[in-house]
Amino acid sequence: MSTTLLTGSEAAAYGAKLARIEVLAYYPITPAFPAMERVSKFIDDGELNTRFVRVESDHSALAAALGASLAGSRTFTVTNSQGLLYMTEVVYHTAGLRQPVVMAVANRALSAPHSRFPEQGDAISQGASGWIQLFCENNQEVLDNMLQAFKIAETVRLPVMVNYEGYIQSHTLEEVGIPNQETIDQFLPLNRVRTLDVENPQAVNTVASPEFYMDYKFHQNEAMEQALTVINDVAAEYGKEFGRDWSGLIDTYQMEDAEHAFVAMGSMVSDARIVVDELRKQGQKVGLVKVRAWRPFPAEALREALKNVQLITVCDKNIVFGLGGALGTELKSALYGQDCRVNSYILGLGGRDVTTEEIKKVLELSEKTEKQATASEWFGL
Amino acid sequence: MAQSIADLSKEDLFGQGNAGCGGCGAAIAGRQAMKALGSRTIITIPASCMATMGGSNLKTTWQIPFYHTLFEIAPAVSSGIRAALEAQGIEDVNVVSWAGDAGTADIGFQALTGAAERNEHMLHVCYDNEMYMNTGGQTGSQTPMYAITSNMAKGKQVKKKNMLAIMEAHGVDYVASASIAYPLDLIEKFRKAAAKPGFSYIHLLSPCHRGWQIPPEKTIEYARLAVESGLFELYEVDEGVRTRNLEPTFIPVEDYLSSQGRFKNLTPEAIQGIQAGVNKHYGRGE
Repeated sequence: MSTTLLTGSEAAAYGAKLARIEVLAYYPITPAFPAMERVSKFIDDGELNTRFVRVESDHSALAAALGASLAGSRTFTVTNSQGLLYMTEVVYHTAGLRQPVVMAVANRALSAPHSRFPEQGDAISQGASGWIQLFCENNQEVLDNMLQAFKIAETVRLPVMVNYEGYIQSHTLEEVGIPNQETIDQFLPLNRVRTLDVENPQAVNTVASPEFYMDYKFHQNEAMEQALTVINDVAAEYGKEFGRDWSGLIDTYQMEDAEHAFVAMGSMVSDARIVVDELRKQGQKVGLVKVRAWRPFPAEALREALKNVQLITVCDKNIVFGLGGALGTELKSALYGQDCRVNSYILGLGGRDVTTEEIKKVLELSEKTEKQATASEWFGL
Repeated sequence: MAQSIADLSKEDLFGQGNAGCGGCGAAIAGRQAMKALGSRTIITIPASCMATMGGSNLKTTWQIPFYHTLFEIAPAVSSGIRAALEAQGIEDVNVVSWAGDAGTADIGFQALTGAAERNEHMLHVCYDNEMYMNTGGQTGSQTPMYAITSNMAKGKQVKKKNMLAIMEAHGVDYVASASIAYPLDLIEKFRKAAAKPGFSYIHLLSPCHRGWQIPPEKTIEYARLAVESGLFELYEVDEGVRTRNLEPTFIPVEDYLSSQGRFKNLTPEAIQGIQAGVNKHYGRGE
């Protein structure tokens, strides 16, 4: 293990390198491109034996990654925002074909209006796509989640997105520990599954009649449910091996006697840890629940973690129009029947800053709100 | 080059019990092409009749790995397959994307031009039936001028886009036109394309009796008339060297056009215009 300063983009690139990806395909987009360039440089410098498919679009990037995966190679791509939306058709298709492609997503707001800045709306737009989605709170977790993503993907045969926010994470230097290649090779051995193989010809994605289609989808969802266990197992194994346990589907902080819980995912989580420490010093019984895996949605784990809490404040850097924040909405659904008040807030859209001060203000506002609102409230307009 | 049909392999890697219409030009083309490509071939086929014909539920007519792709991604998917084979040290496998005129020239063009520009080690085949037959026969860029389709009852008012010229302009290893009426020439072209280290493109004029409104047993005959009239030139551009593979007999274009239901609105002036175009192309006097 060596420790160095890395941006989130570089951490994702190091993750791909340690995973010894065989095929890389991407189309440049801001702010994801430094991750792409870093992996390309590993290849050019001879540090990584990977074939790079220099496609002409984001749509073709995932298509090429999918083709490589079908032919049995460990495959990686990177994108965000418009690129992710453009490849959406292939996103769903890849999950349906059960291919373990890993995609890093440097989360960025969606047009219109045009924005280059961080937000989680791009990942949220793919919530029904059948991809496992992990969110990272810091750059160390970006690297660690990349490696866990390949392990999870290849175990349950589903693709995985590793989400980190544009600029806040993608362009910010943090201390990151880099595991030894030999130990990673043991944690993540190359195990090729060739779906397209001249030695064993198969027809892939033939037309499915109503007698078949629904059963395929049932099995696909079963794999998602299997991931609920596998994500925890892989996190535990990684923690044991490398000394960093990210705690599986969710993580809890200061929740033992908490009366008020803050729930979020992504970069807000690391800020919220600081806020919780400060408020605890003032005697407030505040705790934190981090959603690390948004897909599959960890409903049971959240019910358990929040069973003794009266007040829950959940924050979303996304908006599902006409409904509210995605995490808030889904959390309320998961906690149905549990005796608690859930206040859901939308903040930080399109790069509007969310500092520890904002998180403190949201928690205060939530304390003062006597009745749970049906919809999500907007904070910081 | 095989001298006669008798020289060809008896093995059929495509075509036994496919779901195509009787007399489907694309199915005939698939059967012929596989005589050259052989069993160490991976084929990707985007949304099209050919993809649907290839398999449904637990059945397939393909004896090689066959992947029914999304509409616009076959050349990109094939690029990824090639990259994976290279990464794994597998060198003796042909990678082919096989698309209709929509999956090649229209919705599929972006991925195609990308793969061609990268000179990917693969072959892209366009089986061109000159309209969107898998959705019932609508007009596309490969529909010829004047042809009546299900969404243009008065016939198309603009010219067909020349895909062979566009692909030639990419400077790829090999570009060729081919016809199921000349199977030995077609098979030889697939053999040449498969032997190239980079990108090859083969454009097949593939009559569809439903869309063209011709009798199903005349598929091959119309494919031949298109060539003999000079309307569909058989040629190849091999490493930049252009060769015409067959000198047409120059039967009047009217003999090819006027009996097709899709051209029933053709005026004598329009036919004259088409004939003049052929004459000019081949440098023949009026």
